[in-house]
Amino acid sequence: MKYILFGFLAIFSVKLSAQQKKFSKHDNGKFIYYQVVDSQSVSKDSLVQRARSFVDVAYKKSMKPEGSTDSSVLAKGTMVIDKTILVAGHPSGEVSYNFVFEARQGKYRFWLTDMLFIPYQRDRYGNFVPATTIGVPLERTPGKLGAAAWKDILNSTYTKVEKFGEAFKKYLATNRLEKTKKKAETISTKKW
Amino acid sequence: MKKLLTAIFTMASTTCALAQEAASSPLEISGSVDTYFKYDFAKNPLNAKTSFVTDHNSVSLGMIDIALKKKTGKASFVGELSFGPRGQSQSIPDAAAGGSSFNIQNLYVNYEFTDEFSMTAGYMGTFIGYEVISPVGNFNYSTSYLFTNGPFQNAGIKATYKFSDKVSLMAGVFNDWNVYSATRGVSAVGGQLMVAPVEGWTAYINALSGAGFGGYGTIVDLTTAYQITDQFKLALNAANYDIKDNSVPGSYAGAALYPQYAVSDAVTLGLRGEYFKVKAAGVVPETAFTAVTLTANIKSGGLTLIPEVRLDHNKDKPFFNKSGTSAPNGGQFSLAAVYAF
Repeated sequence: MKYILFGFLAIFSVKLSAQQKKFSKHDNGKFIYYQVVDSQSVSKDSLVQRARSFVDVAYKKSMKPEGSTDSSVLAKGTMVIDKTILVAGHPSGEVSYNFVFEARQGKYRFWLTDMLFIPYQRDRYGNFVPATTIGVPLERTPGKLGAAAWKDILNSTYTKVEKFGEAFKKYLATNRLEKTKKKAETISTKKW
Repeated sequence: MKKLLTAIFTMASTTCALAQEAASSPLEISGSVDTYFKYDFAKNPLNAKTSFVTDHNSVSLGMIDIALKKKTGKASFVGELSFGPRGQSQSIPDAAAGGSSFNIQNLYVNYEFTDEFSMTAGYMGTFIGYEVISPVGNFNYSTSYLFTNGPFQNAGIKATYKFSDKVSLMAGVFNDWNVYSATRGVSAVGGQLMVAPVEGWTAYINALSGAGFGGYGTIVDLTTAYQITDQFKLALNAANYDIKDNSVPGSYAGAALYPQYAVSDAVTLGLRGEYFKVKAAGVVPETAFTAVTLTANIKSGGLTLIPEVRLDHNKDKPFFNKSGTSAPNGGQFSLAAVYAF
């Protein structure tokens, strides 16, 4: 019984912490996910190269490069927002965003902003597809009828953006060449 | 109950374990539930000449619809079943005769050979027309004459090639309309050209020729929708169906226009204006319907309330008035509640 109670408490704690997550606002009034990361061990050039590779290779299906300089990378992207309960759920929409990356020696920053939500609807074949081509800014104030659903969308988006941010930071901290070499290593069973 | 829960958890754990072994999406579960009240102005249920929303002065059931989808690597499947009058006795193929069972909405497998080319085999919602069986896929709750008289579903195998986001082409071979297994062999060929000339505008040009309603025939269909502004969307469906043997009734032609305007985030108003002609066949003369349907969609989360007023006209008087005599006009009010999950 106490294990069941403990389980419920854990689930509620996760739920409460999920509700507390919120986007910050940029000085232009738009939501922004903004991160500054210390990176003393990787040179500025490598950071920019890895950021380009992240957009062009790792996330090529969902991101489109918009330009880059020797210290910055710009891109547009989309991420699918889903309502997943345990292992089941379905996509509820997608959020498009603008991505900006800037590097200096020893640190870099990146942010996602201009986020627009496009709801999905189920088509005749049972697939979830965009219901419209015109996105709704995430900053909008929903009417009373849609307030709860909009709150869910904001929470799901924040969680997805946070995951994206973690994946980006991990990618920039990883040397892809070394990783490839490590992968190629084989194990011999002849000597032991 | 215990056994059921154990089974569900076992399935969930298995899915989770499999997900760790191969790149796969989570199992998607979605569906809908719908119910409605309809009042026919002449108090006669026979005035409903199109599919569904048939009962008069009754709180009646639509259907519960449950869809599963799973994708692993390049392969995916969709299985969608519905239970209830809209999905069984009022849909053409009933899995067990007598309206007592269920209707398969979709049951197919798909394989994406490349990002551009994919093939699908099984039983699918038809690619013809604007409206579908599921109330979640339609704006209006009642259905058009074009929907009622066209195919609902097609079993077959089809290949789709996406030239770009703006153009794709589908071609396939199919059984006759609305059957789980062919009664006249794999005897129809069909195709669909999708073009998206500008942002927000999509058009589908469809053709299906072979075994269908009334024997062998050919249907050509245009379905297009344009989201012109944030608030305003306009859609059009036009079709022509000719049965090869022109003595068999069932050939038709028609068009329906669907303007929709969002007055707020939660409320959208829409109109359906339709002209539908049943062609002359043998001794059966030509007859034509016009119908205007005014519908509102009021959304709150997964729930959509759909109040609707519909007026139909046919000069050949197929409708009935309150005294039971034939009349040129029919009219109804309905209020539906549709919950999508």
